[in-house]
Amino acid sequence: MTIASGVADTHCPYCALQCAMTVTAAPDAAAPGPAATIAGRFFPTNRGGLCKKGWTSAELLGSAERLTSPLRRRADGGFDEISWHEALDELAETLRRSRAEHGADSVGVFGGGGLTNEKAYLLGKFARVALGTSRIDYNGRYCMSSAAAAGNRAFGVDRGLPFPVTDLDDADTILILGSNVAETMPPFIGHLEGARAAGGLIVVDPRVSATARLTHDGGGMHLQPTPGSDLVLLLGLIHIVIAEHLVDEEYVARRTVGAAGLARSVSQWWPERVQEHTGVPAWELRAVARRLAASSGSYILTGRGVEQHVDGTDTATAAINLALLLGLPGTGRSGYGTLTGQGNGQGGREHGQKADQLPGYRKITDPDARAHVARVWGIDPDSLPGAGLPAVQLLASLGQPDGVRCLLVHGSNLVISSPDVAAVRAGIERLDLLVVCDFFFTETASLADLVLPVTQWAEEEGTMTSLEGRVLRRRAALAPPAGVRDELWILSELARRLDAPSTFSDKPEEVFEELRLASEGGLADYSGISYEALDRGEEAYWPYPRGSDGTPRLFLDQFAHPDGLARIVPVRPSAKAEPLHQGGALTLITGRLLEHYQSGAQTRRVDELQSAQPEARVQLHPATASRLGIEDGGWIELETARGTARGRAAVTSDIRQDTVFMPFHFPGDQTANLLTLSATDPISGMPEFKTAAVHVRPIPEAIS
Amino acid sequence: MTTPLRVLVVGFGPVAARFAEDLLPALESGAIELTIVGAEASDAYNRVLVAEYAVGHATLAGMEIADTVALRAAGTRVHTGVAVRSIDRRARTATLSDGSVETWDRLVFATGARALIPPLGGLEQSRLMNDREREALLLRANDQELADGVTALRDLADADAVRLAVRDRRRVIVLGAGVLGLEIALAAAREGADVCVVHTGGFPMGRNLDHGAGHVLTAAARAAGVSLIAHSRIEDVVYTHDEQGRAHFDALLSSDGKMIHGDLLILSCGVRARTELARSARLPVASGILVDSDLSSWGDADVFAIGDCAQVLAKPDELIDLESAPGAPSGLIGPGWRQAEWLAVRLRAEVAGLPAPEPLPMESPSVVTLKAEGVDVVAAGDVSPEPWDDDPVTTGAPRRVAQWADPEHGRYVKLVTRDGVLEAMACVGMPRTAAELTLLYQRRGELPADRSVLLRHDGPDHVAAAASDDPAATVCWCNGVSAGRITEVAAEGHTTVESVGACTRAGTGCGGCKSRIGELLEAYLESSAEAGAEEVAV
Repeated sequence: MTIASGVADTHCPYCALQCAMTVTAAPDAAAPGPAATIAGRFFPTNRGGLCKKGWTSAELLGSAERLTSPLRRRADGGFDEISWHEALDELAETLRRSRAEHGADSVGVFGGGGLTNEKAYLLGKFARVALGTSRIDYNGRYCMSSAAAAGNRAFGVDRGLPFPVTDLDDADTILILGSNVAETMPPFIGHLEGARAAGGLIVVDPRVSATARLTHDGGGMHLQPTPGSDLVLLLGLIHIVIAEHLVDEEYVARRTVGAAGLARSVSQWWPERVQEHTGVPAWELRAVARRLAASSGSYILTGRGVEQHVDGTDTATAAINLALLLGLPGTGRSGYGTLTGQGNGQGGREHGQKADQLPGYRKITDPDARAHVARVWGIDPDSLPGAGLPAVQLLASLGQPDGVRCLLVHGSNLVISSPDVAAVRAGIERLDLLVVCDFFFTETASLADLVLPVTQWAEEEGTMTSLEGRVLRRRAALAPPAGVRDELWILSELARRLDAPSTFSDKPEEVFEELRLASEGGLADYSGISYEALDRGEEAYWPYPRGSDGTPRLFLDQFAHPDGLARIVPVRPSAKAEPLHQGGALTLITGRLLEHYQSGAQTRRVDELQSAQPEARVQLHPATASRLGIEDGGWIELETARGTARGRAAVTSDIRQDTVFMPFHFPGDQTANLLTLSATDPISGMPEFKTAAVHVRPIPEAIS
Repeated sequence: MTTPLRVLVVGFGPVAARFAEDLLPALESGAIELTIVGAEASDAYNRVLVAEYAVGHATLAGMEIADTVALRAAGTRVHTGVAVRSIDRRARTATLSDGSVETWDRLVFATGARALIPPLGGLEQSRLMNDREREALLLRANDQELADGVTALRDLADADAVRLAVRDRRRVIVLGAGVLGLEIALAAAREGADVCVVHTGGFPMGRNLDHGAGHVLTAAARAAGVSLIAHSRIEDVVYTHDEQGRAHFDALLSSDGKMIHGDLLILSCGVRARTELARSARLPVASGILVDSDLSSWGDADVFAIGDCAQVLAKPDELIDLESAPGAPSGLIGPGWRQAEWLAVRLRAEVAGLPAPEPLPMESPSVVTLKAEGVDVVAAGDVSPEPWDDDPVTTGAPRRVAQWADPEHGRYVKLVTRDGVLEAMACVGMPRTAAELTLLYQRRGELPADRSVLLRHDGPDHVAAAASDDPAATVCWCNGVSAGRITEVAAEGHTTVESVGACTRAGTGCGGCKSRIGELLEAYLESSAEAGAEEVAV
């Protein structure tokens, strides 16, 4: 375990912006009051600022709700505290037996985008080497996989922002589609100031979100399309760019392939037809296309709103096609990027938590990649399993014949965050064993057979990779409570008990040194990065091959495909995951609030955040509410083909009349994902979180 | 492997292209062998954009719609510049204009429509011939020849003539004020041409709009540089003749004696389905080729028609008056594409041994959106009912009409509803409202009881929902601090930006709101100073 220093320069525990902060441990841990204090720290991304979640994050360190001992479920449903020794011995034995009786793939692993690079890496290695299972995936499948697939397809590599965030400061025009950064990573909006001052912030969102509001008063434009029409909207912008000769022909000829079929693919999407499908007037589309083309610095950024669809990969691809036609990516003054959500959503998708992936963003099906990683791990490449199942399919296999029978969950509250959670819960009921590593007794932990308490961010060392592809140091300020262990230690202890080959160090820096070797030569090459260099303050953007200076800006000379060219891939709209607007159905969209993060496992335990947003407030337009007899503040029931959920109505003209917004941070019958679909994008495996046909009705206070 | 199903498509426009594209999987697998015969020399292009092309707003590359390379790679034979001259249904063959013969198992008509040439003096060919003579001619020559300076703007060659006139800033006369006539007029005017639209009715888009919408549109079109001459029944096209005796358009002569001069005449008098080939093959034809709801001909289950040449109507058990039969082609592309997709799915199902898909639902009247920059018009259904009219239908929910007219500012909306659901609408000069109404119309969604809510989409308050002096307005997004909260803590003595930050965390995120916090503090201090001064005065 690491020695805590009392004061640590580290980064926020929450989102991918990874705001820099200094955590100072309280002098007397036993004294009442918070266990530590937080101060903002100057850094190019957050410039010393923090949002409400960051400022209050220390409250969780000394929380009375911390788990401090392994818990084992009793037959009566209660839990007993047991020793680590007992917990790990029993667990190893169960895993060994399941593998012997039902095969290695009977054990599954579900990781998280909040885990450090070291944990994500070791978890992937543990699954493949110690458990021998192919069945590993993670919650990043829910947030980044479509943009990742589109980025890989177009550019040959997926780094959310292929440029430093601060490059946005100089842009005249920034088009943000489906991302509410003003609430989800507030300090980011400082980087939109330049575009706002130039009147060029363009936000595409079915809601007048906090981010959309930044376009008011001359800041830019807000386009408010009907949910699920983003792809058509983007095809319409491409149509205009081609029709009005706004294509950067020289760039397209020099830096891309595949443009030939693009004009044909958008020929049918003239502006007025796009208006008929999206609800966005043709003049707004023309104005956006012209503005993007006329600016000396234009950026296109996408978020989950356009990506979390069954055609999410194609939608992100359309955004990339638009950017390529305009000659934006890889120029140093313009570009395309996707806004990663989770704290280590970027690093977490590079080092082996994904079903089809080995460290360094290598493909597990690539024989050379297998040989390289097996050599680093000192094992036979043939002993590595093949590609597993993406998250939704993995969870669908729980307790099924030939499916996963034992599931290990790390850093994910999946019964809140998965689509169609009722089905996921049913799968968990069928398991032989559920093990959850977390620091609180989350909704998922409450279903576990074994709960293992782990460290929080300010109690551990490691690295995180931010939304701009920069590798950052996480540092410990204080010692964890007695009884709490680090996941590296848990994996190392389990590996030993399972007689795993190779090595499983419990020391973050040793794990990172191994990650460097394993990633070397891969797309996400970390081999030139060391703790020492990071501690010196080096700005380490990957790919960072040994002997190089890293890569703050990708694509300046070439894209990552062998021929150096970007791929323009024509796409067209496909059938929706389920029919919308039938029989008066509204369209449900889900998203985040300023005060909460992901499943709310942490933020619902911070008084200041929880008292500001204590329950699911469901947004509806006044005209819709009036038609349905719903009053502001009244309780409502939402019903889809999957199930029903409840919430309190927030009647506001900040939302389209055909749309309902429900935040997904809440448990119980306020769980938004009781309503969402588990249909997935055929390329990325990302579920359709963002459009569901929903019926809404008021319910009497008494029922709720 | 079984013998592939031979499918012959007559016509290579956007609907045929969509059909072929959707057939691709079966073409690639070899289950279907496709042959396409297109009379125009070019590959399929998006005819909807011909007007845009004519004024230079679209390139030919941007209008391509068929991936001929992929089709050919999948074994499709694409013949362009060749017409089908005759069909032998018994032998299942088609004879082409180059003399070759194609054999088919399934025949698909996608021949589209041609521009209607009005029977005017000077357009003698159409005036003198009867229908039978005209059809015989069309079968030989495909389209009617027009004099220099007269075009019907239907294909790329027509568009090129318009393009030259627009480039040279010539005077363009458009005969007909339907959607297409108005679109080309507005587009040409935008490019600097001197454009005049001549039409018989009292206002443009008479088939789609009511009096109110039409008049607001007239004003908008005039403001966009298009002059309109209403109530003009044209009798003759007048020509000048050069030394070789070659005629060139000079003017239109109306029944009331007006001579309307110009350099180019664009005829925009509607379209008529190309049915002569089907008729010659003795297939039932009314205003289009009559097909059942499964798109197969009334006269031959192996023959289909899609797009602008098709009239979709369930075959009745008894004789009906075909002249007034419903299901006539709409002239809009949407239904044609839906038919193309459906028929492709049906044929793929057939070769795969799967059941046919559910028949296409009856098309409700399509939404017409005028393609013109700066002139926003959307219409659907019959908008002639007025708010005070009695509803002639006595059963079911009554028809209701709501209306908003503001001609001074170029705005007009009419909503015809039944049970709160749109039956018809017209919307001029309110783009966002129009877009939302379109969605509601297509979804058959219930309108808000307060219809004026819809109008607000184009109101200035819609984009400035939270006034910046609203105390509930958020000032610091990073920390969710409102203006009211800042004034509150200022009253408690936190009168510097730093002090407010320490107390509320406002301004401690991205810092973007610090100047706004400063303004609020200044305003607070000023108002409290005034209050203080008043107290002293008392």
